[in-house]
Amino acid sequence: MNKFAIGCGGIVVILIFVLIVAGLAIGGIYNRMVKLQQGVDQSWAQVQNVYQRRADLIPNLVSTVQGAANFEKSTLVEVTNARASVGRMQIDASKAPTDAAQLQQFQAAQGQLSNALSRLLVVSERYPDLKANQNFLSLQAQLEGSENRISVERGNFNTAVQNYNTAVRSFPANLVAGMFGFAVRPFFNAQPGAEKPPTVNFNFGSPAPVPAASATP
Amino acid sequence: MITKSDASEKRPSLGLRGRLVVVAMFFAANTTLFAAEAIPPKPDRYFNDYAQVVSIEAAQRLNTQLAQFERETSNQIVVAVFPKMQSDSSIEDYAQRIAQSWAIGQKDKRNGVALLVFLAEHKISIQVGYGLEGALPDATAFDIRENEITPRFRDKDFEGGLAIGIESIEKAIRGEYQGSGRTVAERNQGGSRGGGHPVIVFIVFVIIMIIMGRVQRRRGYRYSGFGGPFIGGWSGGSGGGWSSGGGDSGGFSGGGGSFGGGGSSGSW
Repeated sequence: MNKFAIGCGGIVVILIFVLIVAGLAIGGIYNRMVKLQQGVDQSWAQVQNVYQRRADLIPNLVSTVQGAANFEKSTLVEVTNARASVGRMQIDASKAPTDAAQLQQFQAAQGQLSNALSRLLVVSERYPDLKANQNFLSLQAQLEGSENRISVERGNFNTAVQNYNTAVRSFPANLVAGMFGFAVRPFFNAQPGAEKPPTVNFNFGSPAPVPAASATP
Repeated sequence: MITKSDASEKRPSLGLRGRLVVVAMFFAANTTLFAAEAIPPKPDRYFNDYAQVVSIEAAQRLNTQLAQFERETSNQIVVAVFPKMQSDSSIEDYAQRIAQSWAIGQKDKRNGVALLVFLAEHKISIQVGYGLEGALPDATAFDIRENEITPRFRDKDFEGGLAIGIESIEKAIRGEYQGSGRTVAERNQGGSRGGGHPVIVFIVFVIIMIIMGRVQRRRGYRYSGFGGPFIGGWSGGSGGGWSSGGGDSGGFSGGGGSFGGGGSSGSW
């Protein structure tokens, strides 16, 4: 009777011990995933930031080109429309999209704007006035910088998502992830044609190739 | 590979080494296959002329100037001239990755600038760290590259082009941050060795020697010959070591800065 009680007590102690260890482990995993998710959201905010920076340059660019090149109405309209459609997208800047379709849509809209801009810069080559215009040159330099920043931040975002996804999918963290609803996040795909070097001497329209490892799911 | 496997059959102890060689070759092949890019290792100077386009004196002078600039402003500017690009990417991407991996700039201020030149491709890139994008915006970087550096490079005046490029960059970003009077390399030298250990040890050693010498002199010059040459030998060796390590004080060490693609790149 006494022995049985001691045995029961021992089992209870062991059980409590196991529970505490499991709780600590789960807590650790949970905290790590929260941190990684935070990293994803943060780099998403950075992505939004650089895209916004590019969008902010466009009105100035359009008016500069309009002044010097009266003829390129259609190209300018195209740029303005593409920018407007980007602006219409309702995307939360502080939280990375959880839905792959939403990210796809965002990417498509931004890609359209990239293409329109690259066409605008190609046609502007035909206007010597424009090429000598200090304001235009400065805008062009800023646009190039924006494109570079976009490619860098997209790369950083993909790396952050990859780290997070790896954590969410691997055992035993995936059990904890399932428990607390940490879902796999979508990331940017290299755009079709991005693997080829651009044919014009600007780097527009081809968001820089994301590193091969993160380009494929 | 055949010889390696032969060797492993004869002598089992070589088997592991043979296998390691195969593994190493596999990894080497892998990196060339997938990355097709090599990021140059971190430099230990501010001005790195890997392609020997400027004179040694000029390189030394510019290096000292850049080290001094970090002491005054804490901004780190690193210049590197490479014979060719080791990448299939565009100059913008490659230069950004180099600047990022070299961690130019202070970690908290992210105030680094990289001026990279690739001779074979005729490419120049100015990469600006996050913290200096305001002081050195893309349009200014473009202007420095296009109107200051490029014309001189076209005339094969690399020394002049780099000097004026550095000058212009310094002018743009001076005043953005306050320096601490020491470079990261100098801080590390003091910090990681435990607060200037070698110096303190040396000073303590000299003091002990002087005291011993006096004591012995008072005792009637018995060992006066012992202290002299010993101190001489020490100070000679150690002094030489210091002047080569810290004396010209042009050592660069990245402070952990980061880059987001700001700046300007192009051809000359």
